[in-house]
Amino acid sequence: MTLDWSVVSANAGALLEGTELTVLLAAATMALAVPGGIFLALLRLSGSRVLAGASAAFTEFFRNLPLILVIYSAYYIMPLALDVSLPPFATGLAALALNVSAYNGETFRAGIASIRKGQGEAALALGMSRWQAMREVVLPQAVRRVLPVLASTWVSLFKDTSLVSVIAVGELAYTAMRIRSQTFRVLEMLTAMAAIYWMLGYPQAKLVDWINRKFGVSE
Amino acid sequence: MELDFTPILESRRFLLDGLERTLLLSLLTVILSLVLGAAVGLERVYGPRWLRVPLVFYIDSMRAVPVLVVLVWTYFALPLLSGVTLPPFWAALVALSVHIAAYVAEIVRAGVASVRPGQMRAALALGMSRAQAVREIVLPQALVRMLPAFGSIISITIKDTAIATVIAVPEYMNHSQTLAGESFRPIEVFMVAAAVYFLILFPTTRAVDMLYARLAHLGRS
Repeated sequence: MTLDWSVVSANAGALLEGTELTVLLAAATMALAVPGGIFLALLRLSGSRVLAGASAAFTEFFRNLPLILVIYSAYYIMPLALDVSLPPFATGLAALALNVSAYNGETFRAGIASIRKGQGEAALALGMSRWQAMREVVLPQAVRRVLPVLASTWVSLFKDTSLVSVIAVGELAYTAMRIRSQTFRVLEMLTAMAAIYWMLGYPQAKLVDWINRKFGVSE
Repeated sequence: MELDFTPILESRRFLLDGLERTLLLSLLTVILSLVLGAAVGLERVYGPRWLRVPLVFYIDSMRAVPVLVVLVWTYFALPLLSGVTLPPFWAALVALSVHIAAYVAEIVRAGVASVRPGQMRAALALGMSRAQAVREIVLPQALVRMLPAFGSIISITIKDTAIATVIAVPEYMNHSQTLAGESFRPIEVFMVAAAVYFLILFPTTRAVDMLYARLAHLGRS
């Protein structure tokens, strides 16, 4: 077997573009899924049975489906059901955002619920309004507890963006596999793909560990 | 838009065949990754110091690389390197297990670390050997505490087997895609697929939660 690694450097530009799209897709998903998660958590804690039930149903539905099925479904169903033809990037973004929002919703709900009731009650007793108590007492503590979980979700999301390659979004995995089938340098391209993901993902995983040590709560 | 589920009913054999393979692949992957992950996790905590560096490297690498990449690499690239071609099902079993075992190893480490060191010292002071103390004092408590995390491992595994469709493992996701293409009824096929996966995953996670609620007191110390 002869290896020809020059295929990697010859296609460095395309791989870099793919990597950029991977990062962009992960960032755009998180930008949608953080507000989405907060919204779901607030619905869940709203006190209204209907709203809380709807939020719980949404969350459980997307947490209990394989992401790749959500991606395929979005790809096939959205154009037929909604009568709009979205580009693959937008379709992949929608599928990822739905999935991550469901996880973030649970994260925020647990974060807010983990702050002892006495904290909010004490704030009210001091004369704060409900909203003030939420904003100035409960949320600042909740964010600290939520941060490590959000960081892990980010790393999972970063890896999960590779799944949208199945609907031809030109991110890193898709680009590497496209070059593989054009050049037949299978081992070289797939190893390069794994190496690029590793170089990007390894520091992130380590950073998550650090955030967990710094912000993690042990009671 | 009208829904027509007859193509699915006509192909139920084909879909059930895929479902069977999804469940088999999930079961084997869970067993293999639990065994491998427990070995790695325990060696990391109790094993010799020189072994710790490669084990941590393995765990962190698997946490850094997407499961899709591990699957595709194992199926397409590994045969070129090793000369052995695995059929898709076995390639998926190996790739998924190697990936998920890293997460199991982390769970095992965290579970063992959550048992206060005083427990270990007390066991040693009572004259137990290290192996005895681990087996009889630390692990029984740690195992109960790991239960919820193992529950999510089961659900992650079932969900990840769907990704094996990219290397053409004829499991449920793969058969759904085939049927969606052949029947021109993708909406119905994927709706049924969503229902099937949900009906497997939701009760599974709930059952583990309920089991933990019953056993949690055994893990307290």
